[in-house]
Amino acid sequence: MSASYFISQLVNGLRLGSVYAIVAVGYSIVYGILRLINFAHGDIMTIGVYVMLMLMTTIGMPLWAVVIVSVVVSVFAGVLIERLAYRPLRSANEEATLISSLAVSTLLQNLLQMIFSPQKRAFHLPEFFSVRHDIFGIQLSTMNIMTFVAVAVIVIALTFVVQKTKIGTAMRACSENLDAARLMGINPNKVIVFAFAVGSGLAALAGLMLAGEYKTIDPLMGFVPGLKAFCAAVVGGIGSLYGAVLGGLVIGVAEMLFAGLMPTSVTAYRDAFVFVVLILVLLVRPNGLLGQSEGGRS
Amino acid sequence: MKNVKRLLALVLALAMVLTLCACGPKEDKGNDKQEENNTTGDTIKVGAMFNITGGQASLDEPSYRGFKLYFDEVNKAGGINGRQIEVVSYDGKTDQTVCANNTSKLIDVDKVVAISGLSDSNYAFAAGNVAQQSGVPFVFSGATTPTLNDIGDQVFLTAFGDDICAYAAADYLTEELNITKVYMLVDQSMDFTTTLARCFQERLEKNGGEVVLTDNYMNKDPDFSAQIDRYLADNKGAEAIFLSSVPDDVGVITKQFRDRGVTDLMISGDGADTPLLYEVAGEAATGFLVSTHCSFENEDPAVQDFVKLYTETQGTAPENAFAALGYDAAHIIATAIEMCGDDVTPANVRDNLEAIQNLRLVTGTVSYSAGNHIPQKSATIITVADDGSFKFVKEIG
Repeated sequence: MSASYFISQLVNGLRLGSVYAIVAVGYSIVYGILRLINFAHGDIMTIGVYVMLMLMTTIGMPLWAVVIVSVVVSVFAGVLIERLAYRPLRSANEEATLISSLAVSTLLQNLLQMIFSPQKRAFHLPEFFSVRHDIFGIQLSTMNIMTFVAVAVIVIALTFVVQKTKIGTAMRACSENLDAARLMGINPNKVIVFAFAVGSGLAALAGLMLAGEYKTIDPLMGFVPGLKAFCAAVVGGIGSLYGAVLGGLVIGVAEMLFAGLMPTSVTAYRDAFVFVVLILVLLVRPNGLLGQSEGGRS
Repeated sequence: MKNVKRLLALVLALAMVLTLCACGPKEDKGNDKQEENNTTGDTIKVGAMFNITGGQASLDEPSYRGFKLYFDEVNKAGGINGRQIEVVSYDGKTDQTVCANNTSKLIDVDKVVAISGLSDSNYAFAAGNVAQQSGVPFVFSGATTPTLNDIGDQVFLTAFGDDICAYAAADYLTEELNITKVYMLVDQSMDFTTTLARCFQERLEKNGGEVVLTDNYMNKDPDFSAQIDRYLADNKGAEAIFLSSVPDDVGVITKQFRDRGVTDLMISGDGADTPLLYEVAGEAATGFLVSTHCSFENEDPAVQDFVKLYTETQGTAPENAFAALGYDAAHIIATAIEMCGDDVTPANVRDNLEAIQNLRLVTGTVSYSAGNHIPQKSATIITVADDGSFKFVKEIG
């Protein structure tokens, strides 16, 4: 095994991990505030991708406009789901909202299958995105580079929002203690809507990165990556922004190195390996890599 | 109070999930009136069990259209022995449980005399076992795993076994192209793909060739970057790539390999010849080879008549060989029903299916014998042309 081979698989892992990271951030900020695992998150990603496909194939809009519209639609979808399926259950216990989110996920998957048929559809981005560049001997496609840049930008932007802005301060307050934040005059609904909006918009971007890489999309495409991104959020320490990013990269790299370096007879089982990693990390650090122990919130 | 609310939320959530089950595509019931027994009615009921939606749809949908087309023509011409044929169809939804349940429904509720359908062996095993237990013959339209024969005396194959398909691919590589070193990428989650890969390797080694590297993946994982990098790093001198994949994946894999600059010859087994291949991979699919059931460019009048009929009635040329297989499966069942005379029962149809000898079909000639319900047919190598259509290359066997 040569070093360049190892590096190429590492790059694959970082690329996949970046996508997981972006999705995991959405899981994490929603969980941080609501203690809700939003299983419909992966399906919002699928909605975003289908919106892109429709806009590109039927109207022929330029890509930048397609991305903006799709992010906006996904944000609305996310906020709408929060309003219809989660907010009415706000006073119920956490399990009820969890089940509600599972139901929303199934609903969205079936809805997409009814509207677009369960068939896989080709998803073509301009050739420009698949062109490969040689950077210090590492082969990277334009899409890869954009993915890495996007993750960096998103992390920096979110750090700024969370640390420096009023809504970010309100988010931190809500995730510390929702009731106390409310007593301090913060409107939790505003904060929650903001969290869902950010998470859903990011999910649509992640969908673009996945679909651009795989060239096909189908109505169930968001589910497994969503599940792995959830693992990533847990591995990193759910509720923590940097934890979600770190978890995403760890899961992505672990998956790809397993697929690339292990004997080919076992590489087909890489999904199972991801969950083994999850269990191992939780055995050593029950709150995830960057999670804080908090003993549950009442 | 809180408990009541909690319970209510749970019930509502469950109700929501359950109502979804009813949201699926409407089943094509054919005809709602239920006749007590087929042997006495004016019409004879035949079951069609195809995966009209889901991952198998690109194969099963054309198959179903071909199947229905044959009986439409039969009915137009006055039916079989003066009786009309009613095709009762349910969607298997590319789900083994649904396939098995709907097969039971065809047998118990609709009381069909024979059933046909299914292009993939995973679903064929699920449905075939149900038919075997109930004593109703099931003619698989496109499934090819040789071990399907072991289900019992009620199941019949329209297509050749995977061994013939894989042997043809191996023979073509070694004998026509003088290629001996081959890389295999195998979907480990399906009976069809693992059998195809095993048979291909067997034959290649017998012909003096060698599988230099095998890599694996699981169906539904669209990320092949790890496998491609492994191939690029050291393909051990492979001159061709054999894909043992279900149709959904072939286009994705081809596109991803070609985008990374892999130019080696690529070949796959039957089922890869769907429009999805060119739709997904585009120009990257050009030159892709498929070992399959027939080529619609074949000059044989049986083939040309079918192409003409299908094009006229369906508004499109046959999508792939599976359209012809569906048509042929209907032909096989119709032949057996005709041989029954007036006494059309599942048991009689089964006996007459087994008695079929040298029946000339679109996809070749079929003979069955007691104990062997897999026809010995030839395989055809086809390739993707520049415009995305499939061109005839060679008939093997």
